[in-house]
Amino acid sequence: MPNRRNLLIIATATLLPGMPGALRPARAQPATDSAKAFVKATADKLVAVVNGPGTPQQKRGTLTQIIEAAVDVDAVARFCLGRFWRNASPEQQKRYTELFHQVLVTNITGKLGEYQGVRFTLGRAQQRDEDAVVSSVVERPNSPPTNVDWIISNSPSDPKIIDVIAEGTSLRLTQRSDYASYLTHNNNSIDALISAMHQQVAAEG
Amino acid sequence: MRVVIRSHLLVITALLLGNLAGCATPPPASDPDAVAEFKETNDPIEPTNRVVYAINDGLDTVILRPAAEVYRFVLPQPVRTGVHNVLSNLGTPVQLGNDMLEGKPRRAGDTTMRFLINTTVGVLGVFDLAKDWGYPDHDADFGMTLALWGLQEGPFLFLPVLGPSNPRDAVGFGVDQVMDPFTWVGQGAAVRALDWSRLGVSAIDGRERHLDDIDNIKKTALDPYATFRSLYRQHRQAKIEDARNDNRATIPVWFPQSATQVVYSPSR
Repeated sequence: MPNRRNLLIIATATLLPGMPGALRPARAQPATDSAKAFVKATADKLVAVVNGPGTPQQKRGTLTQIIEAAVDVDAVARFCLGRFWRNASPEQQKRYTELFHQVLVTNITGKLGEYQGVRFTLGRAQQRDEDAVVSSVVERPNSPPTNVDWIISNSPSDPKIIDVIAEGTSLRLTQRSDYASYLTHNNNSIDALISAMHQQVAAEG
Repeated sequence: MRVVIRSHLLVITALLLGNLAGCATPPPASDPDAVAEFKETNDPIEPTNRVVYAINDGLDTVILRPAAEVYRFVLPQPVRTGVHNVLSNLGTPVQLGNDMLEGKPRRAGDTTMRFLINTTVGVLGVFDLAKDWGYPDHDADFGMTLALWGLQEGPFLFLPVLGPSNPRDAVGFGVDQVMDPFTWVGQGAAVRALDWSRLGVSAIDGRERHLDDIDNIKKTALDPYATFRSLYRQHRQAKIEDARNDNRATIPVWFPQSATQVVYSPSR
């Protein structure tokens, strides 16, 4: 007697290609897998440099290369300027984006450079809208373990980090509200923001 | 000396009162993006909040931060972790009450198991063994409970000493104090001294755990006040969503037909 399970499989197999909604889970799996592999590779590289030998200055150079390769800095920069991006002239946009690269790198390397003995544990990955979200736990000396989610766009073709969410707080959202508040208190002047970022980069060296 | 302090307090109070009526000017309606941002920021009494922030920041710089640095310098990490675990264990009654008020039985179960395990095997809460045994910690306070009951947060508030908040969380903080059995247990100088030490150690413990993070934010943010405001609101929202989405089933593992075992088998 042909059992019902076989019939079900045949029915599902013939029906599936006609249903775009049903196709998604099948494709989402490799996307999250590759996002996970991407985060693991990037984190391993970062942790190796941070915990490895060398002066903070030497480490900064290597970390900059890793960050520039793994993060879609231009997209993050545009997001962080929010509604002010449209009001900015092309010249301002260019100078702002250049400075944003430096600010981001100095902020991250400044934080990472101080730590010795960072531990990274990879969690699960899932699809959220167009992006993949990879969970992890980061342990640093002198600080409680932090839950960190990595938001990955364009997985699997050209995966890039577009946001980092630490304990439920989005890095780019926080940065955007910082810039928005600064602009609101400085007559919405993008030049004022640019010069403030300039000072920041100069002070960090 | 006392006169000096009192006159300082007077100045601070005058500043506070003078700015109490200070409201942020909403942007003109002709700029919809700016209006949307104003609503999103949710900080209609920003000028007042900034004054309180400045006072808190001053107090933090001269009192709390140095105390936290000494604390970190004097005690090694394992001891500090133990202190934190004891404080966290003392907070379980309030946590349990809120788990139940939130209608989250599995969370209430976790909290109960954590209290039982850590108080006994964990030596009065010093060691968080329950975490390794499958009962991780979570946040629960009456502000979160109110949120799960559907109450909106209300406008952002920066409270003296307590820091970033909103009407919902401020009320929640008060209710948590009332809910805490330690508020009502015992009397006399010794109990009062213990209560105050718990408060003091909690403040220093909390500050020490965030020394590096807060230093980093102050160093890297163009507007630290706005950054703390954003972080507080995002963090609260995330905790509330965590609680809301924690809908683990309550069927016990030993039950003969737990949810995972009930499957339709076509061969029958």
